[in-house]
Amino acid sequence: MIESVPDKLKPVAQRYAREMIIAGVLYSVVVFAGAYATRMDLPHWVIVIAAIAPLLPALLMLRAYITFVNGVDEFQRRIQSEAVMVAAGVTGFGTFTYGFLEEWAGFPHLPLIWVLPILIGSWGVALCIVRLRYK
Amino acid sequence: MRNRLKVLRAERNWSQADLADKLDVSRQSVNAIETGKYDPSLPLAFKIATVFGLPIEQIFSADDIVVQAAE
Repeated sequence: MIESVPDKLKPVAQRYAREMIIAGVLYSVVVFAGAYATRMDLPHWVIVIAAIAPLLPALLMLRAYITFVNGVDEFQRRIQSEAVMVAAGVTGFGTFTYGFLEEWAGFPHLPLIWVLPILIGSWGVALCIVRLRYK
Repeated sequence: MRNRLKVLRAERNWSQADLADKLDVSRQSVNAIETGKYDPSLPLAFKIATVFGLPIEQIFSADDIVVQAAE
């Protein structure tokens, strides 16, 4: 990813990559620990805390992304903003529509845990499309 | 909004990367401004004017805006 970033943005992108890797490792550790905890005979409140715990490294990822966006120039910020708007729209309206399909047309249930991966995936696709538009 | 960035840059023998360095933006940003795909903010437009040593109106023109004088 860093190779495709303009020279000017490399320090910002490197910091972003570093912070995302750290948050990603933390996230994996917390999720695996949480999954392990659910198999043990622990009090319900511990399981609840384990379920909430992945939010903390996820917030670190969000902070890394916001720092990255604030560090790039205004044109790059425009690209990021448009991609986030498209991804939010696709995910929001997409899952909302799927909710109607579930309720009215008997489509299989989609667990809420898939909303974030859909958001991140659609952000990646939207970023490529927006970048192409400005080429 | 139209601009004369490409011409002014060529007159000075600057590459897009050179201009990007002077403006502290990415080369892609300079390219997007030159091709008219992105209009810079007012602070960046003033920075561009400073780098070229020209008044802002000699670089950018809002050709599609008609300002009507008050009668």
